[in-house]
Amino acid sequence: MILAPVEYCRPDTIDEAIEALNSSPDARALAGGQSLINVLKMRAAAVDLLVDITRLEELKGIVRHDDGSLEIGAGVTYAELAESDLLAGDPRAIAQVAADTVDPQVRHRGTIGGNVCHADPINNFPPLMVALGATMHVLGPDGAARDVSAEEFFTGFFTTAVEEGELLKSITIPALSDGASVGYVDLEIGEAAARAVAVVRTEDDQIAEARLVIGCLPIPTRRPEVEQALVGTPVTEEAVAEATAGAAEGVEPLSDADATAEYRKAVIPVVAKRAVLAAAKGGHRG
Amino acid sequence: MTAPTRVETPRWTGQNYPRKEDRRLLTGQGRYVDDRGMIRQGYAHFVRSPYAHARIVSIDTSKLENMTGVYCTLVGEEVKEMSDPLFQIAPPPGGNMVEYLMAVDKVRYQGEPVAVVLAETRELARDAADLIDVRYEPLPPVVDAIAAQEPDAPILHDEVGTNVSWQGTYEYGDIDWALAEADHVVKIDKLHFHRFSSTPIECFGVVVNWDRGTDTIEVISNNQMPMFGAMMIAPSLRIGIDRFEFTSQDIGGGFGIKINLYKQTGVLALLSRKAGRPVKWTETRTEHHLDGGHGNERWFLDVEVPVMADGTILGVKARAIDDAGAYLHYEPLGAVIWSQVLPGCYKMRHFRIDYSQSLTNKCPTVPNRGYSRMQHLWMLERIIDIVAHELGFDPVEIRKRNYVQPDDYPYETPNGCVYDSGNLPLSLDKALELIDYPKWRERQKAAEGTTKRIGIGIGSTLDSGTNNFGQSRIINRELPFSGNGEAAICKLDLYGEVSVALGTTPQGQGHETTAAQVVADILGISPEEVTVIPGFDQARNSYVGFSGTYASQFAVTGINAVIGAAEKLKAEMVELAAMALGASEDEIELAEGHARVVGDPERAIPFIGLANMIYTNNAELPTEVAERISLNCRHVYVPPFDPPDPDRKYGNLTLTYASQIHAAVVEVDTETGKVEVLDYAAVDDCGVRINPQIVEGQVHGAAAHGIAAALREEMRYDEDGQLLNANFLYYHAPSAAEMPHIKTDYVESPSPFTGTGAKGMGEGGGAPLHAICSAIQDALGSDVPVVADSFNPPERVYRLLHGEGLGAGRGVEVVSKEGS
Amino acid sequence: MDRSDTFDIEFTLNGETVVATVPARRLLIHFLRDDLDLTGPKIGCDTGHCGACTVLYDGRTIKSCMMLAVQADGATIETVEALASDGEMTPVQEAFHEHHALQCGYCTAGMVMSATYLLEKNPSPTPDEIREGLRGNLCRCTGYVNIVEAVAAAAGKETSE
Repeated sequence: MILAPVEYCRPDTIDEAIEALNSSPDARALAGGQSLINVLKMRAAAVDLLVDITRLEELKGIVRHDDGSLEIGAGVTYAELAESDLLAGDPRAIAQVAADTVDPQVRHRGTIGGNVCHADPINNFPPLMVALGATMHVLGPDGAARDVSAEEFFTGFFTTAVEEGELLKSITIPALSDGASVGYVDLEIGEAAARAVAVVRTEDDQIAEARLVIGCLPIPTRRPEVEQALVGTPVTEEAVAEATAGAAEGVEPLSDADATAEYRKAVIPVVAKRAVLAAAKGGHRG
Repeated sequence: MTAPTRVETPRWTGQNYPRKEDRRLLTGQGRYVDDRGMIRQGYAHFVRSPYAHARIVSIDTSKLENMTGVYCTLVGEEVKEMSDPLFQIAPPPGGNMVEYLMAVDKVRYQGEPVAVVLAETRELARDAADLIDVRYEPLPPVVDAIAAQEPDAPILHDEVGTNVSWQGTYEYGDIDWALAEADHVVKIDKLHFHRFSSTPIECFGVVVNWDRGTDTIEVISNNQMPMFGAMMIAPSLRIGIDRFEFTSQDIGGGFGIKINLYKQTGVLALLSRKAGRPVKWTETRTEHHLDGGHGNERWFLDVEVPVMADGTILGVKARAIDDAGAYLHYEPLGAVIWSQVLPGCYKMRHFRIDYSQSLTNKCPTVPNRGYSRMQHLWMLERIIDIVAHELGFDPVEIRKRNYVQPDDYPYETPNGCVYDSGNLPLSLDKALELIDYPKWRERQKAAEGTTKRIGIGIGSTLDSGTNNFGQSRIINRELPFSGNGEAAICKLDLYGEVSVALGTTPQGQGHETTAAQVVADILGISPEEVTVIPGFDQARNSYVGFSGTYASQFAVTGINAVIGAAEKLKAEMVELAAMALGASEDEIELAEGHARVVGDPERAIPFIGLANMIYTNNAELPTEVAERISLNCRHVYVPPFDPPDPDRKYGNLTLTYASQIHAAVVEVDTETGKVEVLDYAAVDDCGVRINPQIVEGQVHGAAAHGIAAALREEMRYDEDGQLLNANFLYYHAPSAAEMPHIKTDYVESPSPFTGTGAKGMGEGGGAPLHAICSAIQDALGSDVPVVADSFNPPERVYRLLHGEGLGAGRGVEVVSKEGS
Repeated sequence: MDRSDTFDIEFTLNGETVVATVPARRLLIHFLRDDLDLTGPKIGCDTGHCGACTVLYDGRTIKSCMMLAVQADGATIETVEALASDGEMTPVQEAFHEHHALQCGYCTAGMVMSATYLLEKNPSPTPDEIREGLRGNLCRCTGYVNIVEAVAAAAGKETSE
């Protein structure tokens, strides 16, 4: 596949990168490229300038702050997340989700920032970021900086709160409350077709706190009614199934070659139930 | 018929000799078409229709005039001037089709080429293609093969006048009698075999030069049946076959699909002629999915099966509607090829199959591993399981009761095919043993009532090999085709080197190795010392009209040609040695690179000495000998066939029948419909195995294609004729992480018809599609609709679990005689 | 900071320094194959799924169809051509040969790179780990059975799948 003619630059600093991104309305940041290069091959977007941010050290770090929160640079690759000592055994499931991303070659290039900014409904980090209550740090021209909560960050199909000329710098993920775990469950049909992420804290075999996010939707979607119904529910399959039965209410999944929206709505409660149970039983995929 | 001899105690044949072709491929030194080129070449890029069905209003290439680096363009109207329509295999009405090398006036599937541009670089060609302005007037498409036959359906080809390209009735025995006599008649509404492709990792590629000085056309390509391609396009290009030089070295998988490369080759040859320079074209994955060719989709309607109280199945009545897509590429040969396996593995004697083929606004179908037989075999295996389920027979016992039995061979089928050998019950037992059948039956019981149900399925198939091309007359009695064959050259060169040239075009089947193994045994050397010239070159290698690598036949046609050529060479070498050593010919043996007198190893002459006698020292020989012996021996193997009888649709259509019995264990997640393969076994019987490791590799590959096709892969069109999975983003070819381990075993039933006892193999008959559907049915039980589609992604299984099947109700009905 | 549609790059390829001028839009795989005649890595898809173009980039496997050539600047890249030295195949290549882990050979260059990298990271993988480690490389000939076996053999282990 042949890309359309395009210009390229490789800034040395974030400021330079933002300046370059503001030099043209069709400039795009090139991170790991594991999605953007495909967009360019298909000539599916008009891009006149690629701003290569892969070598910006300022986007690279993983930091654990004193309050237990983690700050992950947008340019950190999946492989770096999966292999990070700081994330080993972390209950937030970030390393595991990174380790399960696509395949080794993609993990060596693809970045968490690219994953959330591309905002493909099948991307695996957006629902996790929402479930974990992450905050996105976005930089703009002339030193502008703003924080956006993950819930407000994803604005639609392939769109986010990052505006033209802005750059995602890092993501801060707060500590989980003591004893909470993450359950992350996909139904995969070639690619993920339905996904749920649950953060659950139990007390005496009952759910004390719950967050539930449904993925594989244009916007990763929290289900507050289900979260409320889960509180006080015993950790049994029957009880959790009852509480998550409405997990698909009001959501509008996509139809494609793999599955219809109708089917996806039918299986969203199943993945929701499984994610909650996995979280309640100590984490990740259970 | 030539009767190849079997070397008594072969040293190399039958061994797992590691492949000779591996080193270059492992070190990145293979030469595939895109690795090659010609001096002064330009790069071609096609402009393709975004519509499934449309009238071409205009094509404007004016923006490319005088554009630096753009050599030229070619559009359908010019192709119409420069060439003639392609030869059609079909009789009328399908045979009335006027098909040029590129679309003229009308496009009939999404991705059909309408123009092509040649430029100095790949990039320029791609950019220039965007500047060609094509105006279309969209027409209503028809994408469903059944709807295509309705009177009000849009017609694809006006000159054909109907969307039914071919139809015929295959009737044997007395199915009406059988249906009347049977204790039970099982009726199945609808079965659907889905459209998929084995999608070789290397897409198509062509480098072609139409040399104006000599009017010859040099073609470097990855066509897997180049002489068929040449036969198709030479008349269209208004030239003789001898003007072509087709070559290929390494080919990155074919699976039948690469038979379809001829049309593009033809139009690119015209482009080269117009431009006056070589043309290089490398297909992209997206183009391959849109235009490369898909396997046949087929419907089976109104299936009726007469069954006796003891489980004996008497035959089948059905209507088959095949979906050929928009043009007939290799089709309608598929409309007879399925009948090579008319009764499958079973002793059924009564059939009426009303077969028709529809043209639809989809990519043309082409042979895909298991071509046309697997669709039919899948129907038969569905029938066996549905009958077992509905009437309460054990799926193992009903198969064993109806199988052709070991002492029935050679077994003549109702349509005159002769099954050469086999042991189906033993193969089934071995497959069940590999998966530990009793263990899974217990686990299945234990899983009852849970959301993770277990099912065990069996797929019984035949891999018919070495076609009798006379069967094409059953389609079109005017066709001048019959028999089959392959050519090989075996040569002793000047310094005593042994080399072999094949007429075949392997795509991973290891021909260089197996050919070397059999030649080594005949000439008493090691395979290391036999050079099998890699690849095919029309000017260098010898060939016949059937040459190529397709349809499970190398182990018979290719190897027997090699054996014949090596035997001829051996005879010449022995004659020379007897002369040189003053011995009689029956005293001479070939061993360790020498011809020597048996029992007197001092009296020996090395191969180089024999070569010297002919190549450089012939005054010492009688002239008669020097003129007769060439040490350059060609042999054509011709299998023993008669032309079939087109009136009765009767005759021996293939020489060998390898069999595959597969067993699958699946788990069905009843909450989502997702199917996971827990265990898988394949037992292959292809007679004598020349290189068991290569045979096993073929078994693995065929099994993997079927498993993936059953659960992951479908070329899916929407109602507008748009392909929804035109690349690997959406077409889910499996990785290692998504494939189960495949256990294998074998049975060896030598073929009595091939001399060596070997049978063609490699297609595997689509056995996993049968086994996995069977296992899903077994897991779901009899309360839900029958598994009626060969493709079972989670949603389809979920819908079955909720009562939604393909036909009315459960899609099946049993009518039993009173008292039965 | 320069912005341009062509770039001068310098990098190490299979142990040797390469200096070149490349258009910004050229993919690394096309640069390797068409400009440098290094045809070991192959192109099998449009979307970064088949892995036939896999090479090592600063010691890690990447798909060279999912990167720009200009991004090679300053990097160390190794292709399948670098594996066998003085005609000696590596243990992974030898194991692929012995175990018939290739048929058409088109995916092989990428597959061998991924297998080599996998064993570097995990010298003693289980069959499941091998399958996961090769997830980014499609093969349509072998059904992966003999590939898994070959990688296990190269690691000095028999598989017990």
